Amino acid sequence: MSSSLRIAKPDLDQLVSALTSRYRLFGPVDVDGSTVLREVKSADELALGAALDGSVKAAFFPQTETLLTYDGTVSEAPSGRDKPTAVIGARPCDARSLLLLDKVFGTGKYWDPLWQRRHDDSLVIGLGCSAPLETCFCNLMGSGPFDAEGSDIMLTDIGDAFVAESCTDKGERFLKTAYKSQVQRPSQADLDKAGEARSKALASLAPAANYSGVKTALAKLWDSALWDEIALGCLSCGACAYLCPTCHCFDVQDETAPGTQQGRRVRIWDTCQSALFTKEASGHNPRPSAKDRIRQRVMHKFSYFVDNYGEAACVGCGRCIRLCPVDFDVRVVLERVIAEGRRTKDKERGTKKDVRHAG
Amino acid sequence: MPDNPYVPIPVRVQNVRVESDDRTLRTYDLVFADDAEPFEYLPGQFCQLSILGKGEAAFGIASSPTEREFLRFTVNRVGTVTTALHYLKEGEELGLRGPLGNHYPVEKFKGQNVVLVGGGFAFTTLRSLAAYLLANRSDYGDITVIYGARRPGLLLYRDELTEWEKRGDVAVHLTIDEPAAGWDKAVGFVPTVTGKVRPSPKDAWAVVCGPPVMIKYTMPVLLDLGFAPDRIYTSLERRMKCGVGKCGRCNIGPKYVCTDGPVFSYAELASLPEGV
Repeated sequence: MSSSLRIAKPDLDQLVSALTSRYRLFGPVDVDGSTVLREVKSADELALGAALDGSVKAAFFPQTETLLTYDGTVSEAPSGRDKPTAVIGARPCDARSLLLLDKVFGTGKYWDPLWQRRHDDSLVIGLGCSAPLETCFCNLMGSGPFDAEGSDIMLTDIGDAFVAESCTDKGERFLKTAYKSQVQRPSQADLDKAGEARSKALASLAPAANYSGVKTALAKLWDSALWDEIALGCLSCGACAYLCPTCHCFDVQDETAPGTQQGRRVRIWDTCQSALFTKEASGHNPRPSAKDRIRQRVMHKFSYFVDNYGEAACVGCGRCIRLCPVDFDVRVVLERVIAEGRRTKDKERGTKKDVRHAG
Repeated sequence: MPDNPYVPIPVRVQNVRVESDDRTLRTYDLVFADDAEPFEYLPGQFCQLSILGKGEAAFGIASSPTEREFLRFTVNRVGTVTTALHYLKEGEELGLRGPLGNHYPVEKFKGQNVVLVGGGFAFTTLRSLAAYLLANRSDYGDITVIYGARRPGLLLYRDELTEWEKRGDVAVHLTIDEPAAGWDKAVGFVPTVTGKVRPSPKDAWAVVCGPPVMIKYTMPVLLDLGFAPDRIYTSLERRMKCGVGKCGRCNIGPKYVCTDGPVFSYAELASLPEGV
């Protein structure tokens, strides 16, 4: 049973206080002309209207995270648990990405305790997108600007207030305890405004192209010259991976304080667009060219992830388009893949292949 | 594995020896610093060895689970971590995460003949497998080992190979690339020698580990002898970090070498898009 309430914008601080008393709260904050995710203490820090440049994954999977600390040969994993994590102002694309990352970190032979503990007891407050950007394509990736998937509570901006609706039991419980005494229910006019915001947002998005053929097309295009062309339009800078809400690849490095044996082993976001990503100590690199690497990026998101987890590793947030230094557009890539796939026949795969080694 | 798969278990170097005449390979027998550590594994699995401050790297386990007293690894000195490992002395501690990955299908091999084909220092997990098969000798049919290196001094585990040659219940074919003084065994590349030994594919499985060029030319020999692609296994290497399927760098198509491998059948590899 979901409940909804009205939060006048000047009263947002009450929600933020209720959140910060129980959670470590992250939200969009303006820093040097960008809107990034930061820990927040009060409502006036929040930049809820802006498009978030960095994704909310950072609240659960920080860019740099300590796996263990060491002194000489003795190591210790970080002990104790942080306050649970909450996010306010997660756009529906970002909220949904958390469920995709759950599949990576929380399923399979091993689970990742760092991600999973943090996400399991978290609270995600989504913010519907009243004005999707030209680069947004969540509707093409199976969701929409007011999709509640991944959010516990969803906010809709109706001008002078937000309509807050619970989407999960956890969200419902939080709203009930946070607003015990002075619940303000939205009026019919408020609800109408919220409904209007939703239909306007939906109507503003580009008509849904059909990406359902992407995976089938990719299966035929391993050796296609298309990848050479696509690679020409990419700097291999990896900015897309750092901004992407579903990119989860990381490096592990040891940082030792100079002149001591004390240090920490950290994991750090990494990108498959870097040549070092797969380069082995021997000098051998299974993905030596930019073409190999951009193909890996597209294949991972739209083919391998589907094989392993049942859906694509893309939520259509459009950051990789909006913030790319050379205007690389993944939507164009997908359209070209589909078109090229139609022109390409299925190829018989040989069994005699060059197989590398072994140990 | 502990609850947190990123935390290494402390282990101690019990024994270290130089394995090759060019001194780039060393073999370590490791014991757990905490005696009670439960550690169950099968041939073909690997571990991450960890030197705090230097990092981690993945190594196939060269001992067999039937050898309860130690875990054996042979390390080629090539990068930062392996160089740090080469400086370790007996009694010193390091970290270990594992066992990781899948293993050779020793259950499927039961009652059947097994052919092991190895080249160079990629003989580590084949050594594990051979030791395992020999420790459970009555469970398996004929066992054939074909192993080659550039010269005699680069063959791993020489003393043990000599013991196997004496046993009589395992056929050992050793080869080097070019004639050398005092060498009275085969001379020639592993694929050629495999063709000459002509192991029968009947009720048999082949496991091939070696440098890329050896694998490339050995596979057609085995296929021509009649081994089906799903009865030929190999073990792959890729740069790894987490070893547990999260960090995203060791994939070949949709498969992660760390969790779906490192052991793959030739039939599986042929179905993957990426040129492995």
